[in-house]
This record gives sequence, structure tokens and C-alpha cells, in this order.
Amino acid sequence: MKLNILKAFMVGTLAALGWWLSLGISFGSDAVSDTGNCLLCHRYPSIGRYDEKGIKRVFYVNDKKFAASVHGKLACKNCHVGLDQIPHTDVKKVDCATKCHITEPSTNQEFSHANMVNKYEASVHGKGSAENPKPFAEDLPTCKYCHENRMYNPLQGMWGSSEALSNETLARCIGCHTKENWARDFYAHFTHRMRRRRTQAEVVKLCTSCHENREKMARHGVESIDTYKDTFHWNLVRYGVHNAPDCISCHVPLGHSTHDIRPREDPVSPLYVFNRIKTCSNQGGIQVCHPAATAEFAGGRVHAYGTKAQMLTGNKLKDYQGIETDRILKRAETDLSGKDIFHYKVLKFIKLIYKILIGGTILFMGFHQWLDFLAVKRKQKQLKGLANGK
Amino acid sequence: MGNKALVLDGEGVPETESVRGKLFFVRLNYAERVQHMIFAVCFMVLVITGFMLKIPDSVVTYFGPFGEAVFSYRSLLHRTAGTIMIFVCFYHVYYLLLKAAGRRWLIDMLPRPKDLWDMRDNFLYYINLKKEPPEFDRFCYKHKIEYGALIAGTTIVSVTGLILWTEYNWSKFVVDIATLVHGMEAILACLAIMIWHFYEIHFRPHKFPLDKTWLTGVIDEEEMKEEYALHYKKIMNDPELQKIYTKREP
Repeated sequence: MKLNILKAFMVGTLAALGWWLSLGISFGSDAVSDTGNCLLCHRYPSIGRYDEKGIKRVFYVNDKKFAASVHGKLACKNCHVGLDQIPHTDVKKVDCATKCHITEPSTNQEFSHANMVNKYEASVHGKGSAENPKPFAEDLPTCKYCHENRMYNPLQGMWGSSEALSNETLARCIGCHTKENWARDFYAHFTHRMRRRRTQAEVVKLCTSCHENREKMARHGVESIDTYKDTFHWNLVRYGVHNAPDCISCHVPLGHSTHDIRPREDPVSPLYVFNRIKTCSNQGGIQVCHPAATAEFAGGRVHAYGTKAQMLTGNKLKDYQGIETDRILKRAETDLSGKDIFHYKVLKFIKLIYKILIGGTILFMGFHQWLDFLAVKRKQKQLKGLANGK
Repeated sequence: MGNKALVLDGEGVPETESVRGKLFFVRLNYAERVQHMIFAVCFMVLVITGFMLKIPDSVVTYFGPFGEAVFSYRSLLHRTAGTIMIFVCFYHVYYLLLKAAGRRWLIDMLPRPKDLWDMRDNFLYYINLKKEPPEFDRFCYKHKIEYGALIAGTTIVSVTGLILWTEYNWSKFVVDIATLVHGMEAILACLAIMIWHFYEIHFRPHKFPLDKTWLTGVIDEEEMKEEYALHYKKIMNDPELQKIYTKREP
């Protein structure tokens, strides 16, 4: 009996919801273009489920935050395909190359991130083509690994860090562009690109979240980049110096795209030997790096020699127990030249000499001073004995 | 004034003894003390600001939003102290070659075969196979080792430091070598100073807590006889040396 009442209640509720939906009544904030009435359900913080893998998925949308985000003017259905049926059954994962029904003002064509996605797929982080897929594609970062749906914030860092700059500039925009919401969005869209989305330390953290994973890197023939943290560059980053070079400062300098990182043998890469001076000098960029960099200076290796050099010189690899290193060795043979190996050996030899020198010196000095201490104590004891004897 | 010689940690020294007119022996003259003072301050600044590049990330996070300012001052201080230290070295070379006291220092500091025998005999004394330590001249083998290490170390860190300062004029390989050598030499210098020099001036039982010669420049007769017996004899037998190396407290 009770069950029947419950059923009737649920059917009634659903019917009421359906009627509400058909009326097109919006629960959403005025700021969100919720034409699909998605917030009818998704405004509830508890909405979610556990997926097949047992991972908790939260489907709550904070309408105010979403409205202030870079995608805040888009309707849900512009990106989320397959939402027509309720409850949803066949929702596809968001594809950032989807055309999202916005007109791109410079071409008047329908906008999508397809050009970025295509570049990305051709880069070192791309999954390869259907004919030539990369091994362990699941390791490679997707768009969302690096990109969150960032919030628009006031432009900061110039003339102090208050909102005053945004307010004053925006007031001038609104003078001509009278539709305030449009002006605000345009201003936010533009100024969003004028500031760093992540601090240098955050960039390093993001990149190292994969690149310090020895096992994952070894699967792709790449050495772990612990050696970056031996550089002066890292010291600047960890102290929070604004001019500090993080990963993208060198790997994606001015004129390059983060989505288009290429192997350093590729002439397009900023690390390609003939592009190095431009990269290190960073002429025209915000960061002041090595404006007087010469070919000799820029042609060298920035990260310290690591796993590859150790492998090629027959040294035992530390921290690689149980990790397949064949792919790294294969790449090491092409990545490191005879000159690199010579440099590595010289540096290693100097280090060894110093280790012996430091060890030997300290041992000798410590031993000498210990004997001296005992001798002084012995003498003091003798003198004390003589004094007591008197 | 001066330091106590090897006597019972100060016990048994007659308190009633007047120090008026007491004889003192000059170990460091004014110019040498000033050089030492500037060098020591620079050394400490260089060590602190240099090893700030090697401290763990967890310590760096304590600087929080002041990290950038801390780093800027660190860099400025390191370069300033390094520059001053190099100038002190140049002055020292000038002092050694063109000043009478400097030339005496240089001649007395030159290594001699006696230093080797002194070292052997001193070790024998340490292990109680000899009853008395050897009689040392103005500078003993310990001083000469330390002075030699100081010259070598300062030259190496200065040259590599200047290479790092002008890094873009060099190939990256040279910069890498300079970085490695600068750091390793700094570790060696620090440990040597801590174990060799700090022991001599702070932790030798009769010197604890501090040998004040670096400030006063003199030691008393008792210590002179005890530590530098040969030099003491030379001075006492030569009125010219007495003019240079002795002082009477008024």
C-alpha cells in the first residue's frame, strides 16, 4: 500500500516537473543563458551519482560561478551533446572541437576550439593518428587536464591589484558600448588573456604532475624531469620571483602555442638548435631572460643530465627498479650526442674529484682536530695533577 | 686582553697578578685584522646567501609572499659580498708584495720541509709517542694548510662566481662546470672552516668560547711560549723583531 502511495507521489512529481519544463519556466540566474532549463535539476548541490568505476560524479552547477566563467555565456547543450532525453542516458564526453553555435567575430563563422585541438593532436602531447596511434595514449593529457572552466576576474597586477582598474576601464567601454553585460563580457574575455592564469610554481606543478612520474615517462621514452629542480631557473620559481622561467617560458616562448609543443628536433620547436638564441633572449616578451645570449650559451643543455646520460654511460639507474627503460634507452641514443656524453663525463669526473677531496679533507681535519682535542685534554689533566700535587 | 695559554681552563691563574706592563706578542697587525674582519663577514654573507639556493622547498615556502624580495636581496648581497671579497684579495696581494709587514707574512707563510717534520712530530705528540709538541715558528703547518686552502678556494670560487655572473658570455658547458665547482668548493670551504678554523678559535678547550686574537691582534707571553716557541725564541733574541712583534700594555 505504502509502495503504491510512494509510486503515485513520484509519478506526480515527475509529471509536475514535465509540465513545468514544458512551460519553459527558468530557475536559473538571469546571468546564465539556461535556455535548456538545466538548472531545474542541476542547481541542487546534492545531484550526482557514482559511475561504473565507483567514482563519485557531481553534476551540480553553481549558476553564479558558471556565469562568471569563461564559458558563462554558453548554453549547456552547446558543449554537452546528447542531453535531449531526461533522465539523460547517452551523454557524450565534451569534445572541445565541437562547434558551439557562437559566431567568431573575426571570421563570422561558427566558433569551435577545433584549430587548437588539431594543433594539440599534432604536438608531442597528441594521441597520434588512427593509422599511427601513440602507445599508452591514456597517459596523455586531455584538454581538461590543464584547462578548468576558469573564472573571469578583474585585471590585476597593474596599478595595484584592486578592482579599480577594471571598474575605470570598463566605465570607458560602456560610454560607447551601451549594453553593459556585453561590454563586461568582452572586457573580461580580453583582459583574461593579459594575466597569467597560473603562477610559475603552478605551471611547474602541473607539468611535473606527469613529467616527474618515472614509470609513466618511461613508457613514452621520456626521462623524468627531476633534473629541472637542479637549475637556477627552479630556484627563481620556488622563491616566487615574477620574472622566473617556468616550463612554458622555454618550451612555449613568445610566438609558440602551449597546444603545439613539438620535439626539439622539429625546426618549429623553440628548443631546436637554431631557435635557441631567440628562445633564451626572449626578445619582445614580457619576461627578461638572457637578452645577450650567444649561440654557445643558448646551445647548451638547460636541465642537468639525467637518466639518458646515465644509461648511455653504463651507470646504474637509481629509482628505476621495476620500470621498463628500453624506450628511454632507444631515445637516448638519438637525443644525446657524443659531445653531450663527453660533457656529462667531465661534470661527473669533477663531481667525483670534489667528493673525494671533500671526504678526504674533512676526514683528515676531523681526525687531526680530534687528536688535538685529546692531547689538550691530556695536557690539562697533567697540569691539574701538578697543581694538586703542590 | 689576549688569550689564556694552556693552563687549567683558567683555574689556578693568580688573580692578583697585575697585567700592567704585561708583555704581549702581535699575531695580527691592524691591517691584517681589518682584512680578516671584512673577509670573515663576506664569507658568512656568501655562505648564507649562497646556500639559500640549496635549502629545501619546504623552508622556502616560509617566505611566502616575501619570497621574491628575499631572493632579490639574496642575489644582491651575494654579489656585493663576493665583489668585496675579491677586492680584499687584491688588497692582500698588494699587501703581501708592497708592504714590509706583508712581505714578512709572505716569507713566514711559505711552506718549508720543517712543516712536514712538525706535522709528523705533532702527530706523534698527539698519540703520546712524544712528550712535547714540536716548537712552531710564527706560522705552523696548520696555518699554512689553511692559508693555502684559502688562497686556492677563494681563487676558484671567485673565478667561477664571475663566470656565473657573466654567464651569457660563456658556453653552457663552461657555465655548468662553473656552477658545479662553485657549489662544491663552497661546501668544501664551509666544512673546512667549521672543522679546522672554528675548532682552532672556538672549540679548543682552552680557547672556548672565543679566541680574541682576531679583535685584539695579540696573545700573552704564556700562550706565545706554549704555541709558538720557536718564534718566541727568535723574537726574544732579536731586538728588531721585538720592535715588530711585542707590545707592553701601559
